[in-house]
Amino acid sequence: MKKTFTTLAAVAAVALGGAAQADVLRMAYSSAPRSVDPYPFGGATTAGYKEHIYEALVGHDDQPLLSTGWTWNSPTSLTVQLREGVKFHNGEPFTARDVVYSACRMMFKIDDKRNLLTSSMGPLTDVVAEGDHAVRFETKNPYPLWIQKMKFLSILSASGGSVPDGPITYDATGDCGITAYPTRDDFENGDAAVGTGPFKHVSFAKEFAVMERNDDYWGEASKWEGVEISSVSNSGARFAGLLAGDYDLIENPTSEDITALDGNDDFDFSSKPAWRTMFVVLDVNAEGAPGVSAADGSAPLANAKVRHAMSLAINRDAITDRLFGGNAAPANQYSPSYRAGAPEMPALEYDADKAKALLAEAGYPDGFTLQFNAPSDRYPNGTRVAQALAQYWSRIGITVELNTQPWSVFAKARKAREMGAFFYGWGHPQGPAQMISFAFATRDKDLGLGSSNYSNYSSEAFDAAIKAWAVETDAAKADEHVGNAMRAAMADMPGIPVYYTHSLWAHRADLTVDGRQDERTSAFMVSYK
Amino acid sequence: MLSFVLRRLGQSSVLVLIMSILVFVGMYVVSDPVAVLASDDFTEEDRIALASELGVDRPLMVQYFSFLSNVVRGDFGTSFVYNEPVLPLIVERLPATLEVAFLAIAIGLCIGVPLGIYSGLNRKKKTTKTISFLTTVGYSIPNFWQALLLILVFAVWLKVLPASGRGDTTTLFGIELSFFNLDGLRHMLLPAINLAIYKICMQTRLARSGTQEVMFQDYMTFARAKGIPRPRLIRRHLMRNILIPIVTITGLELGGLIAFSTVTETVFSWPGIGKLLLDSIHNADRPVVVAYLILIVMMFVVINFVVDVLYALLDPRIRYT
Repeated sequence: MKKTFTTLAAVAAVALGGAAQADVLRMAYSSAPRSVDPYPFGGATTAGYKEHIYEALVGHDDQPLLSTGWTWNSPTSLTVQLREGVKFHNGEPFTARDVVYSACRMMFKIDDKRNLLTSSMGPLTDVVAEGDHAVRFETKNPYPLWIQKMKFLSILSASGGSVPDGPITYDATGDCGITAYPTRDDFENGDAAVGTGPFKHVSFAKEFAVMERNDDYWGEASKWEGVEISSVSNSGARFAGLLAGDYDLIENPTSEDITALDGNDDFDFSSKPAWRTMFVVLDVNAEGAPGVSAADGSAPLANAKVRHAMSLAINRDAITDRLFGGNAAPANQYSPSYRAGAPEMPALEYDADKAKALLAEAGYPDGFTLQFNAPSDRYPNGTRVAQALAQYWSRIGITVELNTQPWSVFAKARKAREMGAFFYGWGHPQGPAQMISFAFATRDKDLGLGSSNYSNYSSEAFDAAIKAWAVETDAAKADEHVGNAMRAAMADMPGIPVYYTHSLWAHRADLTVDGRQDERTSAFMVSYK
Repeated sequence: MLSFVLRRLGQSSVLVLIMSILVFVGMYVVSDPVAVLASDDFTEEDRIALASELGVDRPLMVQYFSFLSNVVRGDFGTSFVYNEPVLPLIVERLPATLEVAFLAIAIGLCIGVPLGIYSGLNRKKKTTKTISFLTTVGYSIPNFWQALLLILVFAVWLKVLPASGRGDTTTLFGIELSFFNLDGLRHMLLPAINLAIYKICMQTRLARSGTQEVMFQDYMTFARAKGIPRPRLIRRHLMRNILIPIVTITGLELGGLIAFSTVTETVFSWPGIGKLLLDSIHNADRPVVVAYLILIVMMFVVINFVVDVLYALLDPRIRYT
């Protein structure tokens, strides 16, 4: 019986099994890229997909990509030198005109809906071509962050039929004298999907995208002849697809998957510290915080000693070792300590006795009641970490009521400021200070600070440092301001940093993966051993 | 018959209306699209602007009535997430779901009904007991677990079928189908089997109990006494009489498969509407969820209507006035 079964299986395998093409890389993403049009949507998978086709002036590693460098003419004027000899997939040369066109397209609202970068481009007053190989960006306030933001400005070819000949004049509505921009269909069928990237668009359906190598790429051409990107949101199915040979590489395997690969010679995994900090946001409002109550009616979270006690109670090494098998790192500040520009900070201590003493000193020897919220379906191991945190706090006498809920519900409660303490993760693709400028600065509309300040935190020292950073075009001085801001916030602890995540990929054992830190998956990072 | 159709139509419209209110209010209470869509580096003004672009800054009543008046004009709105009209978004994914649903129903009927009749006719046999045991098992296995098990066995161990995705499709009348394509069929097989296992078990049980009941009816005894040969007895007298419950259940199950094969579609990454529904709920994409459920209600109404008409054809005693 067994023999018949095996024979049957072998016959079926020969009859049905598709031969794997060796030089096409088949990757499985954890969610589907939303469009071929690089502008409307953010999200790691959309960004990861589009980077195969389009490039920006600045690369994901903060280094020049389609540019060769930049100089600040004044704090409100930046000139970017463009790389010469770059050609689009349609053979047209890449020039300053394409950059202006792309900036116009970014500002233009398709069907009255804003694009990914629209808000970031708000401070921009003009984008001017200076000859063929330089572009000047003018802003109304000093806007050093624009260098980071340029990563998201994918450069499209301005050679389509609907773009009039001659220079393009930028305006803030994105009208720019262009009669019609390409539509979604133009992008999906490939007509408008013309970038300078190492791969060319072949086909795109929501769960399956195919690309082929750009043999005329200006840099080193890819070793892969083609790339296929499938999207499998269920992690079990994604992993099974890898084991079944449907994919060469999958992103975001679970801790269980990694353990299952132990002793498997055919498959391996790769890990890379990512630019994401997982932390607990605490509402420090002196009037009290939702879901937090003390016997004497005071607001415990408004007391910095309480917040430090809560941080002291957490054994970060245990969380990263036990729950993540080492594929995460203990955090000591809000930005990953290894993010360029992040200040040197001491490790955060774990001492439950000290925590208890500090809590007593703050006036809560018997603790207080805290509702702790966490999204149940957002972060790898998120629920387990939330449970661990709740247990650490219970140990020092805080009565914790853990409340996990789906992301969409959680996001609504967060926006409505209904949560006094919640678990959250924030990526830092735009440097170490951008996130804290939104999360902890006192709200300032003109500088765009503090819009996600759910801690209701306000500190003069912190604000001064962050405001100085926001307008500082000198990188070394900016880093100094970041350090001052970070130290000020860590001293007050309006949020408790817990750990930095690692990005994980599981793949065939004969591949090497040199992973990226911005949580994206691309063919550039994969090669044969 | 006409008054029956009209009455049905009236009832259905009320149903659709109630349904739309429930879903609309439900989604409004549970999630906030701006909270999900706005990234953390949006300024407060950006968030306000986004809310007004999506039209969710208006009072709930205003949003609902503008939605309703658009639906009457055939416009189900625009997806918050994809920024595409909702109807094409759903319709474009429908063929993938329909294909698998029909294949699963076909497998369920073709295996389940004969097994059931066999079990009903041979009650004491060992095979019958085995079948009965297996159907109990098939009934009880959680769908998602069974799906992973199928992947493990057929894709990972035996490597005969792909684990997920839709594979190649053939375009027929502008619709992409997997049916007429070897690669497509291979991809379709596991999800279809996963959905079919439960159907097989159910059809087997239905057919068995029907058979047991019908076999002892007087007309069967009479037919046997008349000397009607067994194949004809089963085909003409038994089958026809056990079909009514089977048709009812198959109709309802077909609807259920089309509407809610979310788990299977998610596990197998099958790009159908079930996966769309789940993603949309997750992303607070209210226009998609509302339109989807309204379409599903309409579909159930149509299926039930077809089932009622089939009754009349199968059983001459049933008449609609």
